[in-house]
Amino acid sequence: MEALRLYFKLIRISMQARLQYRADFIMGILNIIALNAINLGMIGILVYRFVNLNGWEIWELVFLYCLWLLGHSIFSLFFWHFWELEEYLVQGTFDQFLLRPASPFVQFLGREVQYIGFADVFVAATGLALAYVNLGLHWGIVAWLFFFLVAISGTVIETTLTLMMACISFWTGRSSMAVDLIMEFNVLVQHYPIDIFGSWFRVVVTGLIPVAFMNYYPALILLDKLDRNSVWWLGYLSPIVALLLVGMTAGVWHLALRRYSSSGG
Amino acid sequence: MKIFWSFTRQAFQFVAAYRFNFFAEIFLILLRMYGVYWVWKILYTQRPGAFGVDLQQMITYGVLGMALEIFMWSRPQMYMARQVKSGAIDTDLMKPIDFHVHMLARSLGETLVALGVLAIPALAVAYFLLGVELPPDIWTGTLFGISLGLGYLVLFHLNFLLGSLAVVTLDIRHISWAYYSVVRFFGGQMIPLWLFPPFLAWLAAALPFQSTYYIPMSIYIGNLSGAEAIQAMGFQLVWLVVLVLLSRLLWSWAHRRLVVQGG
Repeated sequence: MEALRLYFKLIRISMQARLQYRADFIMGILNIIALNAINLGMIGILVYRFVNLNGWEIWELVFLYCLWLLGHSIFSLFFWHFWELEEYLVQGTFDQFLLRPASPFVQFLGREVQYIGFADVFVAATGLALAYVNLGLHWGIVAWLFFFLVAISGTVIETTLTLMMACISFWTGRSSMAVDLIMEFNVLVQHYPIDIFGSWFRVVVTGLIPVAFMNYYPALILLDKLDRNSVWWLGYLSPIVALLLVGMTAGVWHLALRRYSSSGG
Repeated sequence: MKIFWSFTRQAFQFVAAYRFNFFAEIFLILLRMYGVYWVWKILYTQRPGAFGVDLQQMITYGVLGMALEIFMWSRPQMYMARQVKSGAIDTDLMKPIDFHVHMLARSLGETLVALGVLAIPALAVAYFLLGVELPPDIWTGTLFGISLGLGYLVLFHLNFLLGSLAVVTLDIRHISWAYYSVVRFFGGQMIPLWLFPPFLAWLAAALPFQSTYYIPMSIYIGNLSGAEAIQAMGFQLVWLVVLVLLSRLLWSWAHRRLVVQGG
């Protein structure tokens, strides 16, 4: 409880620090909206010319893209700075966290908020609402609950994978390329249904870097496309995958802290 | 020329120093190539020979586009923004070399190294694994080479113009994602312009971005040939001249307005 109180206090301070740069904020938001509009535009052109992508219609693809983005948006609001863990280590900022009488993890967590993540929330919500209407979906209460659970699981999956990769820098000093690698798998999974790819790719994004649980498998269930893939029931496992990753990440984090030696910054 | 080689050497040493990054970078390019390969393969099973281009040509186009992602490696606009922000730009301006030429030499050095150690090895792998084709003949290959050089120069000058704006507005960091998305989209890096709906195709045809990816890559796969290819290269050349002139003008204006904060 004490940790939670501290976290909210730190977050408030980070928000105040961010709010000083109003123009930066607006530019950042417009930047993200433009980026997503262009990405969706590209998918749109492909479907405009080829009618569908392996049986996925345009609004189903928008749904897939935005379901990933919804999970990602919470990551980008609160956990974006996990990417920069290596900078904290290299520059010695991390030492501060260890000197203070509070959990280093909570301090690291509350260090930054990325306001620009609001743009992700906006794009994801708009895209999902449009897809919902255009696909004529009518979800009951259970489907809605499942949907929100999937979104939260998505956030947890991306956050834990990023943090585990970033922890590599406790050993090697550098981790940004490893984090980039995860992101690249994410980008492919966000843009395209994984049933278009070869089997090794599907195995990797299911078993090794399980980002397909952020959008693809749950979308099969939510869009009632069960005939697309014989392992559609994996979608129900999204929350379990997320929980497993939390356990693994906690282990890695504790190992990493024990391994830590300051750069002397 | 000597300055250019020293930047090339510097960029090469940087790559050599971070060997893990180098392998990861190659892997990233191969992963993107793999993605684009399957997208076109699936779309072409739905509609073989779409728009007069066969699957092999389309895959070659897509994979080449991913290899040429390295054009976005060298970011002179970021360098300029950083130097202005930190105040270190004054040391750049004191150097006995024209700033525009200095930036070009730096960027060209970085790009050539990335081309040699990343793009070409990745393409070699793609040649064996993904069935990428070589240009149909030596003449086409030569035209491609020239057109690619022009394409690079057009992109460099667009970057340089953006960097000159950074001198005045101080922060361009937050528009860079959108900027590169525009370059990718209107450049036709992944989706060739012939697939665009009419209005977007018309817009893309007027903008300079198609010089960087679409024109050289279309020449490579033989979709632009003969008089059409020469005409497209004329388009690149005209834009290049316009952009060089604009760069000189904007930079001299920005230079006069430059306020160095301490430094």
